[in-house]
Amino acid sequence: MSNKNIKVKDLGKKTDRVYNLDVKELPKLPYPYEDWEDPEVPPVKDIKAEGKDLSLDGILNVVVPIPESEEKKEELVAKFLEGVRKLLTVENNWTFLKPFMLSMENCVKCNTCSEACPVYEMSGGAEIYRPLFRSDVLRRIIKKYISPGGKLTAPFTGSNIDLNWETVARLAQLAYRCNLCRRCAQTCPMGVDNGLIAREIRKLFSQEMGIAPAELHTDGTIKQLTTGSSTGVSPVALMDLFEFMEEDITDRTGLNIKVPFDKSGADILLIHNAGEFLSWPENIEAFAIIFELAGVSWTLSSEMVGYDSVNYGLFYDDAQYAKVTLKHAEVAKKLGVKKVVMGECGHAHKAVMAIGDRIWLGESNIPRESCLATLEDLVMNEKIMVDPERNDFPITLHDPCNVVRSMGVVEPQRRILRKIAPKFREMTPHGVHNYCCGGGSGFAIMQSNNFPNWRFLLPGRKKFIQILNAFEKEEYEPGVNKYVCAPCSNCKGQIRDLLEYYDAWEKAGLLYGGLVELIVNCMTDVREGFVEWEFH
Amino acid sequence: MPWFEHGDLKLEVDEDGFIQDPSVWNEDVAKALATTEDVNDMTEDHWKLVNYLRNYYLEFGIAPMIRKLCKETGYPLKKIYELFPSGPAKGACKVAGLPKPTGCV
Repeated sequence: MSNKNIKVKDLGKKTDRVYNLDVKELPKLPYPYEDWEDPEVPPVKDIKAEGKDLSLDGILNVVVPIPESEEKKEELVAKFLEGVRKLLTVENNWTFLKPFMLSMENCVKCNTCSEACPVYEMSGGAEIYRPLFRSDVLRRIIKKYISPGGKLTAPFTGSNIDLNWETVARLAQLAYRCNLCRRCAQTCPMGVDNGLIAREIRKLFSQEMGIAPAELHTDGTIKQLTTGSSTGVSPVALMDLFEFMEEDITDRTGLNIKVPFDKSGADILLIHNAGEFLSWPENIEAFAIIFELAGVSWTLSSEMVGYDSVNYGLFYDDAQYAKVTLKHAEVAKKLGVKKVVMGECGHAHKAVMAIGDRIWLGESNIPRESCLATLEDLVMNEKIMVDPERNDFPITLHDPCNVVRSMGVVEPQRRILRKIAPKFREMTPHGVHNYCCGGGSGFAIMQSNNFPNWRFLLPGRKKFIQILNAFEKEEYEPGVNKYVCAPCSNCKGQIRDLLEYYDAWEKAGLLYGGLVELIVNCMTDVREGFVEWEFH
Repeated sequence: MPWFEHGDLKLEVDEDGFIQDPSVWNEDVAKALATTEDVNDMTEDHWKLVNYLRNYYLEFGIAPMIRKLCKETGYPLKKIYELFPSGPAKGACKVAGLPKPTGCV
């Protein structure tokens, strides 16, 4: 029986399904989608569901295998509890112990966070998606099963919960129903970060129990460390990709540009998300055009991992995070560059520039900068010349959570757009109050089973509503091309999938892309028409 | 892992139907996999795409970027969707026996 109003203490109860998302309860979409009807979320096919726990909400992204016996279940519960203990000690959790403990101890249950959460809001208030629901599950487990005398006092301290296999399995899945956008943390009057708690739960499951989504782990950080990139692009393949991109630049613009690799002592080492190489080469090409025409001293790296800024460890595992960021630091140090610039990838910004402060130490403490700041200097100080009239179409800007809310990089991209885009439309709300694209924390790359429906219908729906509302009604008339500018690979992937799901290119004239493409589109030294109005 | 069965063929596939061991691929496997993509008749155009993908994969260990695929085969993206309705990455690559794309693609 699906239970929208389930209480935390009942999470471990035996049931086939705690909650089922009902598309009929979703909020209506604005113009021109008032009549849109979403298909039901397809159930996971039997053959794929076999042996996997789907008892939370029937959605499958992280796989939690059902243990074969009661003994095995007990073993895993014990292992989980051991993992919780580790989260609480500085020897085992030196990275995030302090903010984690503050978040665990200071919640006053005012529920301000719930109103800020797009997943909770779009679900029409399903209890399991409330930001403090999953935090409270963990909080109660700690109080009852780890604090001295906890079991005796639990009924009186509001920490009732049954720690059984069901609770553990559902908590793992709950950690993957949060997009780590941290709107909740931003609004909490006590400074509690429910996003961090969700992330620490993910960490516990990955590091202690080997439970993590394949997209992040085996096909993510492991693949990156063994092949050079999460996409599987090896250094040899990299050279073929760039040979093609150089030809492509000539075809598009008439310019002959040689992309510099492994140039020791360059001012800037630029690191892209390697997903761009395969899905959005125009983004990589645009960076090369801007940097070359502005006369920037820059280089890319062709060393393993050095050409892929991805670090999915940020989303789920400290050890994997550290391995990748150490490799990035090593590559930068070896090249002797003056600074490292992060391309249009949000989580890489945070991994290298913010969390990286804990690891890029001593000689590796090389300045690190957002490409948005680098580009702002080039555009605003006229190191490249632009003709804004070439961008004479409505443009709205998506704020990637990691860059904007988490790191406060708000204005550089706006100053650029105000200069180069005469029809720039802000979303409501925007800047640090933005909503996630709905693909945050690795969700955008989880393409299997019925999870895409979930990310389109809940966190993605909030974004789609924002996008639709950003433009005037008359701008939806046929033939008016509009551009959703999303300077982040992960956000771009999610927005592409969202627009595809809603058939929004055909139906509403909505296309998406990065920021550098818009800059090149209006550079006077470049042939017109860099932005191709074709959905891909 | 699930199994995909077609006639005498029995292949281990991942949850999205991509074969697990790319080395077992041959033309019969491609024809069988094509049926899962609503392609019941592999025409010359289909083979041109599939062979290009296959050869690129054998050389570089990845699928080519879609823009390159379009340029090298001379097929616009729209035509590729006509040939393989679920698209180049999910449809054509699957029939060519490539693993599922990974990373932020």
